[in-house]
Amino acid sequence: MPAIRIRDLTKKYKEVVAVDALSLDIEQGELFALLGVNGAGKTTTLKMLSTLLAPTSGDALLDGKSICRDGDAVREILDISMQETAVARKLTVAENVAFYAALSGQTKEEAAASARAVSDIFGLDSVMDRRADKLSGGWQRKLSIALALVSRPRILFLDEPTLGLDVLARRELWKAISSLKEKMTIILTTHSMEEAQALADRIGIMKSGHLLFVGTKEELYAKTGKSSVEDAFIEIVSGGDE
Amino acid sequence: MRGSLSRVYTLTSRNFKEILRDPLSLIFMLAMPLAMEVLFYFLFHEMTDQFAMKYLAPGIVVFAQAFLALFTGLLIALDRSTAFLTRLYVSRAKSAEFIFGYALALIPAVLVQTVLFFVVGGIIDPSIWGIGMLRCLPVALCTALFYIGVGILLGTLCNEKSVGGVASIVIAGQSVLSGMWFPTEGLPSGMVALMKCLPFKNAADCMRSALNGTADPTADFWIPFCIVLAYAAVSFGAAIFIFRKRMRFR
Repeated sequence: MPAIRIRDLTKKYKEVVAVDALSLDIEQGELFALLGVNGAGKTTTLKMLSTLLAPTSGDALLDGKSICRDGDAVREILDISMQETAVARKLTVAENVAFYAALSGQTKEEAAASARAVSDIFGLDSVMDRRADKLSGGWQRKLSIALALVSRPRILFLDEPTLGLDVLARRELWKAISSLKEKMTIILTTHSMEEAQALADRIGIMKSGHLLFVGTKEELYAKTGKSSVEDAFIEIVSGGDE
Repeated sequence: MRGSLSRVYTLTSRNFKEILRDPLSLIFMLAMPLAMEVLFYFLFHEMTDQFAMKYLAPGIVVFAQAFLALFTGLLIALDRSTAFLTRLYVSRAKSAEFIFGYALALIPAVLVQTVLFFVVGGIIDPSIWGIGMLRCLPVALCTALFYIGVGILLGTLCNEKSVGGVASIVIAGQSVLSGMWFPTEGLPSGMVALMKCLPFKNAADCMRSALNGTADPTADFWIPFCIVLAYAAVSFGAAIFIFRKRMRFR
């Protein structure tokens, strides 16, 4: 059974169709990159999958649990890192981690283990005692993504994780995200073709709420005759559903 | 049930730390009202009975509570604007747990305010010491519910830029419509009737009655107290309804 099974997922705002009958399967342990220009429907899709937004029609099963009928069960197995940095500003990094661990029902021992695990992945050791609002933008972003792992989700959504980061911070974050591959199922939305190229097992390309392409990088190159994700993306988006 | 209580404790503890570590909240909720209490007493208490400590201290307690609305609203509005709250929506916490988490975080502030203003008032004017001070503690917790409820409502409806402006209306209302700073006897009857319908004067009146005692407890304490409680119930009810509606579709 795929980790995520999306069927005819649709979101309409009055006359505007933000996501139109999206159907897609994502396998266990896969890192799936969702590409698209602004307004393509990527964030709306993630918000529906994470139960933050009600679909107009359609459904999705996350580990077999419906986002429409089993919201509580779905929230037990997923976490999300939003586009915006989402941390408790006046809490230290250690307090932030402890807060998320406690909120997900972990015991003190489990919380300590979670703190060690995310600290190892994201290199948070040196900033554990610093307040979140005193950290640089890059560190805050790292912390924000690290917090999504504290609850030990089976499914993780990363909405434009490297948005606004400098090249060094971005590369560090890629390394951290790469280390999560196969440990959990990840959907990552991004504007960065380089990011998709570096991280994704498969790529989906959305435009105006429609999914125009799904496949591996190799399949994308073969379909478009291009040799980079960026060129192939432009070919697909500018050429409609060719 | 245990999981729910644990989440409320976790949320309360985080919110309490956020408020405690904001120097502005300490200045406006504690330092400024305290300075006003001391200054106004020494400047005006010989000129008018209005500023005798037995009226001033309970008035200041209620005035300082108006800032609870500002800082509760700011905390929630900031949590919303930074997507912190949206992210928490993808947790196991329920809307009622969020509301309790925000409300309970302010209770220590209410207790500190009440004790501080009465103790300092008692040091300045020892005549206010007595059982009345103890009566004021539970009354203060009840009147604070109205301001906390308004704060949750404002934080849910306003963004972090507008919440300060809207909350200042509540604070101004508490100042002007509570009858704390001037006698209400000479005011037009319509104005007095309005003040009696709104929670601000009622909150100050029941606090004063709790401290000083009264010959007519029904008129001077219970009716104003019930009016404030009714406003608290409405503000909390509206806050929970709107918070739940905005939280998610589940």
